[in-house]
Amino acid sequence: MGIEIKLAFDLLAFISVMVLIVLGLGIIASMMGIFNFAHGEFVLLGAYTVYLFESSGLPGWAGILAAPLVLALIGVVLERLVIRRFYAAPIIAMLGTYAVGLVIREIVRGLLGGHYKSISEPLPGAFTLFGVDFSIWRTVIVLVTACIIALTWAFLARTSLGLQIRGSLENPNLARACGISTSRLYAMTFAFGAALAGLAGALIVPLYQLSADIGTRFLVQAFLSVMLGGVGTFEGPVLGAAVVGGMAAGLPWVVIPVLADPLVFIIALIIVKFRPQGFITQGRL
Amino acid sequence: MAEPTGTRVRSGSRVPRRVLPYVEGAALVLAVIVPVVLGDRTDLVTLATNVLILSFLAISFDLCWGLSGIMSFGQALFFGVAGYVIALVGRDLEFSEIWGTLPLAMLAGLVLAGLFAAFLLLGRKPPTTIFVALGTLTGSYAAERLVSGWQYVGAGNGLSSIKLLKIGDYEFVEGTAFYFLALSLLVLIYAGARFLKRSQLGLVLAGMRQNEERLAFFGYRVQLFKAVVFSLAGLVAGLGGALYSYHQGFIGPGNMGPGLSTTAVLYCLLGGSGTLIGPVFGAVTVEVLSYVLSDLDALKPIWPVILGLILLAVVMFQPKGILGLVVSDRERIGSYGRRRKER
Repeated sequence: MGIEIKLAFDLLAFISVMVLIVLGLGIIASMMGIFNFAHGEFVLLGAYTVYLFESSGLPGWAGILAAPLVLALIGVVLERLVIRRFYAAPIIAMLGTYAVGLVIREIVRGLLGGHYKSISEPLPGAFTLFGVDFSIWRTVIVLVTACIIALTWAFLARTSLGLQIRGSLENPNLARACGISTSRLYAMTFAFGAALAGLAGALIVPLYQLSADIGTRFLVQAFLSVMLGGVGTFEGPVLGAAVVGGMAAGLPWVVIPVLADPLVFIIALIIVKFRPQGFITQGRL
Repeated sequence: MAEPTGTRVRSGSRVPRRVLPYVEGAALVLAVIVPVVLGDRTDLVTLATNVLILSFLAISFDLCWGLSGIMSFGQALFFGVAGYVIALVGRDLEFSEIWGTLPLAMLAGLVLAGLFAAFLLLGRKPPTTIFVALGTLTGSYAAERLVSGWQYVGAGNGLSSIKLLKIGDYEFVEGTAFYFLALSLLVLIYAGARFLKRSQLGLVLAGMRQNEERLAFFGYRVQLFKAVVFSLAGLVAGLGGALYSYHQGFIGPGNMGPGLSTTAVLYCLLGGSGTLIGPVFGAVTVEVLSYVLSDLDALKPIWPVILGLILLAVVMFQPKGILGLVVSDRERIGSYGRRRKER
């Protein structure tokens, strides 16, 4: 009994990490049709912010709070300078964001000096429930992810700004005709996506060691999650991330680990091939 | 070859002077004299050979993107797999005769790319460009991960001390002989790709890049054409990978991953996609710069940053690449059928 609960919890924790990372990517992809190759680097920058806070003696939780703000700022600047040139051309956007990501990653690699840094968990230790030990930090991640999903959903579905965003997704021309500044909305959405990535990076860095490649290892899985769930919806990428994350964490228990990793990609690709519109087709972000 | 500037076609527009044949000729002459000039600087001859080999990858990517509009983020997959295939044939079968292994590598690239194309491109519904781009990226990434965990193929360390390529008793080591072997194969492949671009198939591809839907309405099976070109690109990449493997004596997981794949993208975009010679120039520029800069200790760590900035600058400001500065759009896209003679 204990081991099953433990396994389910680990699965849930990994799925939460995946969902956190995918949420921002999915929102940017839905809104602007851009698959942001620099998303992994946004995650990295979020993690790096926490590291900067820690190494300068400030408390870790302050870093976690600061990361989304820092990333939102970076997101706005990048959107204004670079990303907005690519809205009409999704393929070129991939190349452009890849280049941005490469630049960020290599700069951080230079700053880190190629070393791995471990960040301690802000809330270390574990608590025991029904005779099973749960890591406190993983529990925090699961809870925060649930909150973020709920808040993001409420923001998109219940506020007037969310309505404007959904409107511009549905029909940008009509939205502009109604006096909504889509260009400002796009900048905000991009910043929001970047902020989510930053938060994800800040939360997961204690679980993985900080290295320049912390974001890239999730990038391809995140892309597949978005495609799997369906671009243009809010629930889609979340569901896609849950499936991909579940497979990535669960398959190593079923087949040998060497095969598990590529198998996740192959299964996801096959599903996308035969259901290109994604799990959720109703476009209503 | 070049027509006088005064020639007019029926529409009355001036035919711009053709530049590409001159560029191609100059490149060939340069490529032939380089080893003669370098002579005893073996390290530079090795670099030059390496550049030639990476040019296969660049041409392979140009066949995909420049000719048929497939954004492949996984071109290195075919390069790397073919490299692994010949390395394993050398290790386990002790066979490295040129007449056997190079065709084998080409076949490996062709078949693998064909399978990928069949999966990604063919089917009832035409795939989105995003799906193809992410599909190739995923393939390349998954292969890298698989190989780096697979003991039989050397796992993360890759395969080293690969058997030398040979004809009869003659073994190709790094040096001038290998350079000219790579050059002659590259010229052959280049001529083939050039023929393909200017053939009637090339015309269909040009139409597809312009308006895929309309071509489909004309009754062309657009996705099939793409799949054919993608497979051929895999063949070119496969040949390059085999030569790489023999030349370096080493092949590793990184040689099939997204890293090298995106470098191929950079070669192509920097040089000028769709011109075939452009990507070769791109490969030369990037690799030579990288070699020069890695000698300077101050610049070595920021070289990848510079690469990223170059790619960003090209994508944002000069999407036609370096050759786009001298080659007209008309020539870049190509002209088809017989040229009209002045009456």
